[in-house]
Amino acid sequence: MKESQAYIERIKRVNRDFQRLDLAVDQSLSHLLAGQALLARRIEKDYDAERWEPYLRDLWFPVDIHASNILTIELPAREQFAPGQLLSLIGPVGQPFRFRQKLRNILLITYHSPPTPLLLMLPYLLERQVSVTMVLMGSARQYGTDHLPSEVEIIVAEDNLTWNDMVMTLGWADQVFAAVGPGDELSHFADIMRLMRDRRNEVPVNYAFGVLQRPLPCGVGACHACMLNLRGSQKLQCLDGPAFDLTTLRLN
Amino acid sequence: MAIEITRPGKYSLIVSTPVMPAAGTLGFADSYKAMIDYEKLGALVTNPVTLDAWNPAAGTRMIPLDAGILLHTGLPNPGLSKVIRRYRKTWANMPIPVILHLVGATAQHIERASGLIDEVDEIAAVELGLSDDLDEADALALVRAAAKMEKPLLARLPFYECCQFALPIAEAGADALVLTAAPRGTARDRHSGRLVSGRIYGPLIKPMILRMVGRLRREIPEEIPIIGSGGIHSPADARDYIEAGAVAVQVDTATWAQPKMLERIARDLGGWIATRHKDALLDEWNPDMGHTEALQRRARTPSGDAGANQGGR
Repeated sequence: MKESQAYIERIKRVNRDFQRLDLAVDQSLSHLLAGQALLARRIEKDYDAERWEPYLRDLWFPVDIHASNILTIELPAREQFAPGQLLSLIGPVGQPFRFRQKLRNILLITYHSPPTPLLLMLPYLLERQVSVTMVLMGSARQYGTDHLPSEVEIIVAEDNLTWNDMVMTLGWADQVFAAVGPGDELSHFADIMRLMRDRRNEVPVNYAFGVLQRPLPCGVGACHACMLNLRGSQKLQCLDGPAFDLTTLRLN
Repeated sequence: MAIEITRPGKYSLIVSTPVMPAAGTLGFADSYKAMIDYEKLGALVTNPVTLDAWNPAAGTRMIPLDAGILLHTGLPNPGLSKVIRRYRKTWANMPIPVILHLVGATAQHIERASGLIDEVDEIAAVELGLSDDLDEADALALVRAAAKMEKPLLARLPFYECCQFALPIAEAGADALVLTAAPRGTARDRHSGRLVSGRIYGPLIKPMILRMVGRLRREIPEEIPIIGSGGIHSPADARDYIEAGAVAVQVDTATWAQPKMLERIARDLGGWIATRHKDALLDEWNPDMGHTEALQRRARTPSGDAGANQGGR
């Protein structure tokens, strides 16, 4: 992990509510893997012109990595950026997602959160002929998916968090990754676990992973503000996350 | 450069730069080693450590505010014995002294912790964190218990009772006063809709604590050093604390936003203090704080306190 500078090379609107920023980044960040994030802060050329609003760094999950050190970020369109804007990036933050070796079918769930943290895995999975289904639940149902690869099956859940063929989808998946919005993450994960437990006999270890997006004050394991209680241990979202096995998280 | 940041005596702590992180910002050891040159700092102040393990706070732990944050971590730590076991080797290899930030609810806790700490040579000093919930008698009992340690004792004063507690705590055995812990506040978490209480950090804290530093520097004996802590976000902020009478400063959450800022402040103040203390030659002066600026600042200072304190050192 290190601090490096980057600048915004291109900005493109991808749907009604989101834009994508192409960042020219340091070489060290072009090896970033799905699951790893960046802590970003806008900076000025003059170091003394530091502004403290917003105060802390934003947690950004890249959604694509191109050749020649270009990394793409997806952010809400209401946030205003301009090409050429300088950024200070700390990263990579966190551990890559761990996929099963013989992964054939994967289920991605986004609940009150855009699927941003899960998007970088799509090129990797599709290249390996993995079938991907994405379920949008809660406020995530508003997310426009036209810009996502056509191979990804999109399911929009009902108000009661169910969808057609739900039993089949959950039984079909070899692995599940669920991203929830910041706030009541643990209760949202508990909702997802309840759905799975109701429709499967059991939820095995290393099957369902919850992806956390809590804002990280330091991102390097210093402040311990992102510490989580797991069964039998404590982990830090910034060093050990963002994905945690839902069977080990203490959801109460 | 050598700066004594605790009162002179058998156990005194000397640092090479009057800048260090505030407790809770840089972790227990070298979490920031990839981004900060620790050699440029005066000391490492560890995250808060308690005798027994403490769990993280439940619920929301951080709320962004306008130019600041509210933080409520619950001071999670694995307990003193485990902290010593895990980090002792790293501390031994650090180029700067380690100040352990100790938190205890009772004098008995502090006494038991003291026994463990005294056996660890890698801990150069102890900073005792005094909670806002303590009354004066309880705070003094904790300080008296900690003062039995054979290590320099820094006492970090609670924000609201800072001026009231300072002198009694110094008389009870604190070798230096750290002003102060961050003030407490309450803010609404927009995600959960709940009100959350915690400590407030940000640039706006500085003017309040700076005033306390100036006031206490006049009120308490000069042999008791004051370390300023709160709202420092630039070398100029840090210099203001020194001008008000602090012998050193602690930088808190600015490091999370801009990790290099801590090192930059340390380099800056390192140069300036050398000038003050050692009558350094012009070319040894810090370029950011040249001869002309120093003279101008002195001339600008009203015949009052800050200037007098500076000259007095």
